[in-house]
Amino acid sequence: MTEERQIPKPLLSGIIYGEIAYWIALIGMGVSIIGIILYLIGMNQFFDPQVVLDGLFAGKDTTVIWQEAANSKVLHGHWYLEILAKSDAIAMLGISICCFAGVLGAWGSVVGMIISKEKPYIFLVFALIIAVILAMSAGGLISVH
Amino acid sequence: MKTFLAKRKTLLKGLGWALLIALAVVVSVSTIHASSGIEPMGMSPLMFFIGMLFICIAIGMFAVLAGVGGGVIFTPLFMGFTPIDSYIVRSTGLFVAMAGALVAARPFLRRGIANIRLLFTGAVPYTVFAVIGALLAGYIQAHTGKGGEAFINGALGLIVIGIGMLFIFFGGKSEYPEVTHMDKFSAKLGLAMPYYEASLGKVVDYKLTRVALGMVLFCGVGLISGLFGLGAGWAMVPVFNLVMMAPLKVAATCSKVMISLGDTAAVWPYIVGGGMFPLFAVPSMIGLIVGTLIGARIMLKVKAGFIRYLIIAVMLFSGIRLVQKAIGML
Repeated sequence: MTEERQIPKPLLSGIIYGEIAYWIALIGMGVSIIGIILYLIGMNQFFDPQVVLDGLFAGKDTTVIWQEAANSKVLHGHWYLEILAKSDAIAMLGISICCFAGVLGAWGSVVGMIISKEKPYIFLVFALIIAVILAMSAGGLISVH
Repeated sequence: MKTFLAKRKTLLKGLGWALLIALAVVVSVSTIHASSGIEPMGMSPLMFFIGMLFICIAIGMFAVLAGVGGGVIFTPLFMGFTPIDSYIVRSTGLFVAMAGALVAARPFLRRGIANIRLLFTGAVPYTVFAVIGALLAGYIQAHTGKGGEAFINGALGLIVIGIGMLFIFFGGKSEYPEVTHMDKFSAKLGLAMPYYEASLGKVVDYKLTRVALGMVLFCGVGLISGLFGLGAGWAMVPVFNLVMMAPLKVAATCSKVMISLGDTAAVWPYIVGGGMFPLFAVPSMIGLIVGTLIGARIMLKVKAGFIRYLIIAVMLFSGIRLVQKAIGML
């Protein structure tokens, strides 16, 4: 099972995925924390936080909470990008950046595989399938709405 | 005498578990109506944020000490014991599982312990079915009303009870499984990647088998993860370790990286569906990550056996509670 030999070098595609995912996720977390601090101190809110809280504890669903807290129907897609002056939209942007980390990481991994000509190529195909699914999902193309 | 003692030990253990399950049923029944009427009691959003932060730090800490991901406890706990809408809890559960995995993936890939070939192979079925699960969740939420909600609660309850039972009865894992026969498909893929094991001071070489079966099983794991908003390390590690025969460390690190990929795909339909509220998601994310970091630090100093049983008890309580909620909705 184990044997003495030189320490194997990890594959470039893996390192790229890890680095991109880590740093982008941290940036996203930082942005979401800044956004939520602004939200909690009451700066330019889209959702009324007290109404959101009451809605959550009352077991209301997303449609009702949106209607009562933001006086709007659910804005499907990347709704926060259109109202970035609002503090909770900044927090939501941070959450999205965090979720985007995996998408960028997967594409970075694909690029890494191509640059370093990693063989066998079947794993490039697998990575590409995942990267495309993630991009479609992040782009809102995979949605029931 | 020895046989008698061994039998007595088994009997007492069985009796202990029976008592725990009975207690779980009694407590769950007695509190089911109480939680549906929880009021914020004039709680301010700031107090809610701080409260969520501390609750999630505790979840993250206990989860690490028990050897599970925070996401698998977060979702059933909040769905079972709070009145918060299940779609919102599931979207947040997926997000926190994914965020933790994204941060944790880096050192595993840098050191080459997580096998990128193996995890991409598993991630294709996992990601596809996690997305299908998330879409199904959106459909159920939009079109099936109370019946769909009852299905989600009941099915998740049964799954969580099943995970608890899995921990009790099939907790055994193999650190370095021996592969005696490699099937053609596994051999052709060439998935194995040796890694340096610092604790042994050696390069560990390993073989993998039953990759096709593993891929089929990942379809089911992905569906459960996307539909119920659970982190899926509890299922991935056994598939990698006991089915595909990867070393335990490779299995654990691959599962963490795979969660970061699959849950990323599954979380977007929830986000674009408007199911994520920063007031709930951000403190949960910070709390679970901070709790995981604290848990990892104190892990070396405390005996985690008791905490493992505590987590199993929490899962059984939550599972029974969810099933009861589902019955109540019908």
